[in-house]
Amino acid sequence: MVNGQQVSTGGDPVDLFRLASWCRSGPEWDRMVSEIEWEDEPTHLNTMNSSGGFNVVSVDKLSVSYPGTRSHGHDVGAVQANCAAPTRRLMYYFEMTVKNAGQKGRVAIGFTPPGVKMCRQPGWEENSCGYHGDDGMIYRGQGKGESFGPTFTSGDTVGAGINYASQEFFFTKNGKLVGTVNKHVKGPLFPTIAVHSQNEELTVNFGKHPFLFNFEAYVLEERTKHQTTIEKSTLPVNVSHWIVRSYLLHYGYEDTLNSFDIASKNSLQPAPVAQENSIEHCEAYALNRRKILRQLIRNGEIDSAFSKLQGWYPQTVQNETSTLCFLLRAQKFIEHIRVGELEAAVKYARAQLAKFFSVKLLENLLQNCIALLAYDQPAESCVGYLLDANQRELVADAVNAAVLSTDPAAKDRQGGVSSHLERLLRQLTACSVERRSLTSDQGETFHLHQALRAAGKRPMLG
Amino acid sequence: MSVLGFALVQFSDLIETMASSKKVITKEEWEKKLNDVKIRKEDMNKLVMNFLVTEGYVEAAEKFRVESGTEPDIDLATITDRMAVKKAVQSGNVEDAIEKVNDLNPEILDTNPELFFHLQQQRMIELIRNGRLEEALEFAQEELAPRGEENQSFLEELEKTVALLAFEDVSNCPVGDLLDMSQRLKTASEVNAAILTSQSHEKDPKLPSLLKMLIWAQNQLDEKAVYPRINDLASAKLEDPVV
Repeated sequence: MVNGQQVSTGGDPVDLFRLASWCRSGPEWDRMVSEIEWEDEPTHLNTMNSSGGFNVVSVDKLSVSYPGTRSHGHDVGAVQANCAAPTRRLMYYFEMTVKNAGQKGRVAIGFTPPGVKMCRQPGWEENSCGYHGDDGMIYRGQGKGESFGPTFTSGDTVGAGINYASQEFFFTKNGKLVGTVNKHVKGPLFPTIAVHSQNEELTVNFGKHPFLFNFEAYVLEERTKHQTTIEKSTLPVNVSHWIVRSYLLHYGYEDTLNSFDIASKNSLQPAPVAQENSIEHCEAYALNRRKILRQLIRNGEIDSAFSKLQGWYPQTVQNETSTLCFLLRAQKFIEHIRVGELEAAVKYARAQLAKFFSVKLLENLLQNCIALLAYDQPAESCVGYLLDANQRELVADAVNAAVLSTDPAAKDRQGGVSSHLERLLRQLTACSVERRSLTSDQGETFHLHQALRAAGKRPMLG
Repeated sequence: MSVLGFALVQFSDLIETMASSKKVITKEEWEKKLNDVKIRKEDMNKLVMNFLVTEGYVEAAEKFRVESGTEPDIDLATITDRMAVKKAVQSGNVEDAIEKVNDLNPEILDTNPELFFHLQQQRMIELIRNGRLEEALEFAQEELAPRGEENQSFLEELEKTVALLAFEDVSNCPVGDLLDMSQRLKTASEVNAAILTSQSHEKDPKLPSLLKMLIWAQNQLDEKAVYPRINDLASAKLEDPVV
């Protein structure tokens, strides 16, 4: 990590884009969060992909009926949703209501792959699965059905879902779980309903209206089950405690660290194995100075921070066009803007910032900084994020990283640029993302941001 | 068979072998993936704050608020009260603890009969510990017995506790573990959890769960791939993939 980082910035000890505080509530982060969450969801039926076996009943494309009187094996009116079931979640579910079971009640609900014959019932063709109303059987790509649940007819609401964690299909009838079957299909699956005898009429609900089945509770139950499995593993004694401690050390939160240490002494924490590891003394490096520098920057006293840094660690600010120098200069400029000293800001920019326009990597950030001048109310503008406390924190973290890099012991330290906590969280995220990519992109992945929000302030169950 | 045909057969064999074996991810590739992960400092700060608050490090939480600008997800004053209750139980002042819980929120004990029973049980244990046997007996009859009648599991625990009275040398008695420090800690953590729940706060910090999730996630990925693991959480050291 250390090596990779240094290559990418040409020997600069601070890789701005590698700092956790670079990700913040700026436009870039918002874009990223929405990308994580975004996925196409079925909203209506794809009535264009038809074998001619159904009539569209409603303009909202949520209801279909069987048009003819034929009922041969290749006269089925199957209809798929407008897109495949979303996969990047724990489960997907939809429902349909049988408005009219028609002459023979050969209605069905299930999932089918792209390109499947629309004149066939879901479950009859390979890679599809369907729960059929007339016999209550489940069909899984073979000609023969397997006995599964009750039949369903006029007035009944049935549901079909995919549990990506357990790789199962599940079906419901009138709000109750009927059962689950193994999901043998790997690729994308379209929610599908089908009609196959005179006067049959179905209405599908892709979640626009509340489901009859308590899908949320079902998801929660699965999640709790999952959580219980996870909670079974045991952690080394006090490991959380030491990870927190090393985080405080890493970022130079010295006052917090001292309080934490005093309090933990009283609460009987036995010394952990971790102490033998290098956590302790290598990150205690320059702790007090790092704390002082952070405080100055957080208070907006950039000049003092700069001169202290120059005195203590001249090597970190030697290169006048380094990322660190840029961040400090830019912050000084931002502080001028904050207090409305526009003239001073312009003067400062000409003297200290102009030279950074030649540094490609910093161009964007520099332009955003300068753009602050253009607004009457800079804090309300699209570059207003530069004025919030997180920007100071970013500069403070960059200084902290630069100081840590002067530690002679730092070279032997693996991944010394980031805290233990950060490395563990990266590993957790990477593992879950990798696993999903090896599982046909199905299921949830871990994202710290979501994990913190989802758990929120909701009390735990039970 | 032509040479080309032979080569194709071999090639398809190779593909098959590759498909059945696990994907191998080198350290270099993995580090690139790690670097692509977006972890936000603000979120890590929140995670740390959540730990300090839930575990009751009120002064550290206060300092952390100042040093990092992270807002706690609970009123810090309530931590002090919660810790005072916890401490009272830990040091055997159960009456004091009950009073403090009721000052905080009388509903906590009203809606948690089990917790209330355990506190009363702890109170009796403390009486026995201090050799105030008569008081203990009276307390058992007046306060604990009526509750035992309401609930079978309470009754069993009551019987176990009363059994302490039968032994002159409690250090040698089969229910002697009730007098252990661990019993106090157990009761204390039960009160702590109940107070947190009453404040709509989770009773456990999030960090340990995430660490367990990491262990689980690595085990899961082991089934599909060989990649650099972190085996020692405390050092967060990335191991070379074992092929």
